[in-house]
Amino acid sequence: MKRINTEILVIGGGATGTGIAWDAALRGFAVALVERRDLTHGTTGRYHGLLHSGGRYVVKDPQSAVECIQENRTLRHTHAHCIEETGGLFVVTPEDEGDFPDLFVQGCAETGVPCNEISVAAALRREPLLNPRISRVFEVPDGSADSFLATHATAQAARQAGARILTYHAVTGLLVTGGDGDKRVVGARVMDAVSGEEIHIHAAMVINATGAWAGRITGMVGIPISVIPGKGTMVAMNHRLVNTVINRCKMPADGDIIVPVHTVAVIGTTDERVADPENLRIEPWEVQLMLDEGEKLVPGISRARVVRAWAGVRPLYQEDYTGDSRDATRKFALLDHQRGHGVAGLITITGGKWTTFRLMAEKTVDLAVDYLGERQPCRTASTQVPGAEQGHYWLGHRLHEIEEEHLQGELICECELVTRTMIENAAKRNPTVTLDDIRRDVRLGMGPCQGGFCTYRAVGILHELARQAEGAGPTEEETKEGTERDAAWEVAYLQSPRHNLSADERPARDEAGLQPNLLLRDFLQERWKGVTPILWGRQLKQERLDELIYLNLMNADHLPQTGEKSPLTDFYLYDATPNEQTEAPA
Amino acid sequence: MIDYLVMGAGLSGLMSAYAAVQSGHRVKVIAKGLGALHWGAGSIDVLGYLPQARDAVVRRPLERLADLPANHPYTILGPAAVQDGLDKFMRLTEELGLPYYGAEAAGENLLLPSPAGALRPAFLAPAAQSAGTASDDAPMLIVGFERLRDFYPELIAENLTRQGIAARAVKLPYELLSDRRDANTVQLAQELDDENRTERLAEFLREAVRPGERIGLPALLGLARHAQVVTRLALAAGAPVFEIPTLPPSVPGIRLFNTLRAGLEARGVRVEAGMEVIEMNAEEGVIRWVASETSARPLRHSAERFVLATGGILGGGFMSDHTGRIWETVFDLPLTTPQSRSQWFRPAFLAPDGHPVFQGGVRVNAAFQPVDAQGAPCFANLHVVGGALAGCDPLAERSLEGLAIATGMNLLKE
Repeated sequence: MKRINTEILVIGGGATGTGIAWDAALRGFAVALVERRDLTHGTTGRYHGLLHSGGRYVVKDPQSAVECIQENRTLRHTHAHCIEETGGLFVVTPEDEGDFPDLFVQGCAETGVPCNEISVAAALRREPLLNPRISRVFEVPDGSADSFLATHATAQAARQAGARILTYHAVTGLLVTGGDGDKRVVGARVMDAVSGEEIHIHAAMVINATGAWAGRITGMVGIPISVIPGKGTMVAMNHRLVNTVINRCKMPADGDIIVPVHTVAVIGTTDERVADPENLRIEPWEVQLMLDEGEKLVPGISRARVVRAWAGVRPLYQEDYTGDSRDATRKFALLDHQRGHGVAGLITITGGKWTTFRLMAEKTVDLAVDYLGERQPCRTASTQVPGAEQGHYWLGHRLHEIEEEHLQGELICECELVTRTMIENAAKRNPTVTLDDIRRDVRLGMGPCQGGFCTYRAVGILHELARQAEGAGPTEEETKEGTERDAAWEVAYLQSPRHNLSADERPARDEAGLQPNLLLRDFLQERWKGVTPILWGRQLKQERLDELIYLNLMNADHLPQTGEKSPLTDFYLYDATPNEQTEAPA
Repeated sequence: MIDYLVMGAGLSGLMSAYAAVQSGHRVKVIAKGLGALHWGAGSIDVLGYLPQARDAVVRRPLERLADLPANHPYTILGPAAVQDGLDKFMRLTEELGLPYYGAEAAGENLLLPSPAGALRPAFLAPAAQSAGTASDDAPMLIVGFERLRDFYPELIAENLTRQGIAARAVKLPYELLSDRRDANTVQLAQELDDENRTERLAEFLREAVRPGERIGLPALLGLARHAQVVTRLALAAGAPVFEIPTLPPSVPGIRLFNTLRAGLEARGVRVEAGMEVIEMNAEEGVIRWVASETSARPLRHSAERFVLATGGILGGGFMSDHTGRIWETVFDLPLTTPQSRSQWFRPAFLAPDGHPVFQGGVRVNAAFQPVDAQGAPCFANLHVVGGALAGCDPLAERSLEGLAIATGMNLLKE
């Protein structure tokens, strides 16, 4: 059993957890972060990608709106390269009657969200596919964000400040001293999901940043907390049908927003209270609702091709709240379990939204400081994460770099313009257990063919890395230098073809255990899970071509296997096929 | 007036056209695209796995046809007709200069290395592929090329080794194939048609190969001069050479398509692509004409008889929408496919029993005429062949090309 000593242990590798690790490390604390899967595997990697202006909350939840616009401005500076300046429009459709638009304008003024009414004609010039029957349009500073890249960049900033980030490390229990009345959490028992090794991490403060899963951690020390898992289903359209975030100007409801992210447009979302944050089935009515509602903003959208559907689960915290999850507050909740439950050494942060992750992290570390003592002040609001100097994301950046550098022949994923060295370097720089980890790094397999061509190619490439890595296990010296090596990881440019012209000089080593046939089957199943809810029409034909490739050509279902399993094999196998038995709630 | 209008230029359409023209009929082929041959492995898969036992490979496909369900197209045809169709295909491709071979033990499936290193059950394969059969115990040298994104020799060699087949891998410089920065396998095959390139590659192969080995290469050994390229490489390298298919586009599939198309055109059959059928006209159960889309106005095609060879979901013969409706696109023929999305899929992509949505299709009578729920023909002068047929999942059971050949070649069988 390994033992690690640190001051602050953060549980959860989403936006909030990595933000806390970054903030605390910058203030001078010794920090370790554990995440049971890959960074962003939970809610952070499953949201629609909206950088809120706050407009969505000005009427319903003004405090959230104030936080959003403040953080919107901050993140444009600190995480510039993770954000696209799309701008946003709030539009009044023929179905949105009443005084909401006036309340909206008033709310924007009161909360400081910049809002500018423009003519319908001007809006249609900007977004020609917009419903021409809209009556009013308000322009706000919404944006779209790449939550995968942003979290990686935050994690790297944390590493550079001395934090240790351990992915595929699951908390199996909390280390506790004292009995009833003077309990103190002094660390956590952690299991390395790949090697099976148990590690005890001792810390003066444990911060539970597990979002919708927060109750599972506090439950380990007998603290019941009420986090409402609010499932949100989203669908990604095959085209970027709009270049501006389009919101319905009404009280937030299902399917009232379209966000252009990278090459697709995402319609979101539903909000369903669910019992289990883990296995999220997508029901046919949810997909239908997204398309029907999307139709009101962009007529004809339901006849366009859908590439994928997925669901994330919002961590909505409200003490003693039992109503609909849609009406639960979007504000975040910071729980001091010493004051609240008499258990020292444990803080829970939950609720909130991606746009406010940095602020949540700041407030959380402020509370930790109350117990651990003052260090340096918070610096995250003014410190850029690595890669931010590239400036804002724009849609053409990959194509531009591919063309400038003549990399057409290096493309492994033609849909998302991923080159061979981008994959190799992502595998070396970020812990890689499944191809899905590579997907989150470089967008492998996220385009129209959903991995039809690139799955096989990426498996071939990772297998070559694994062969190189065989027999090149870490020396003792290198293990000691592990933390320094972590700090040098250059993940800021994961998504840039130009910054990955040559292979990373670090030797392949951690890839030694990768089993190609397992990588292949896991990723095919992972992709399948997200397409079954939307397979019809041309996307069904595309899927049949993928079957032709993996059944007839590869014979992938008869590759030699000896029952190998990854930590995610069972997760991917969860039954996500449409089920007509359930109906939309009345 | 033509006798047979074939809709679809995949293997089933081409075989139907061949069967009809051989019987002295006037035939025309119209198609939207060029069919699934361009995507597949270029081999002829007849039956690799039975629906109820997908774990065990079928050794002797023609002897197992009796184990198929009663509504399976092979069952409707009967084993003799299936065998007859395959024999005709072999004679035809030999005559056209692209011979196909079966296993040495007559009637057995070949087991050929897939691009992932699994063993694919194929009944017939072009000469260049059949030399890779697992029944031969000569060790394999799998040769790949740096930067070639569609072929991974180490992966193939490792998986073959895991299955008890002696194999090792080497990678050669990409420049042997091409000077272009970016080329797909079809362009690379065309480059190898150049004798100088073939010679240079052969020198490298001779250096790499050990005595007794056979050399497995990605399927890009020439397009127009394929046979000469393979012969020359084997001779100069001093070892047998075979091809392993690659990701699409499929060079072996395109060779077969080009060969069959040229053979048909030599017999006076026009094969016209870019003609999607968008309208049909029938009177009293007899189809008079169909119309295809052109840039100006719909173009009408009249014929005595019509052959629907548009394929299923893969070929574009069926379309579906989000409500779970799935329909046949030209005649709206009744389909056996469940009309509800909740019944279309199984939870696992590689589900051993396949996905129900891909098992449905057009129900036919013994003459391969589409029939309604009562079993009566929908139209007196329409036949259905290939991937559109009900009662089978041609991909899951590895019967795609076999079904196309058997149903196409037997078009005129009474």
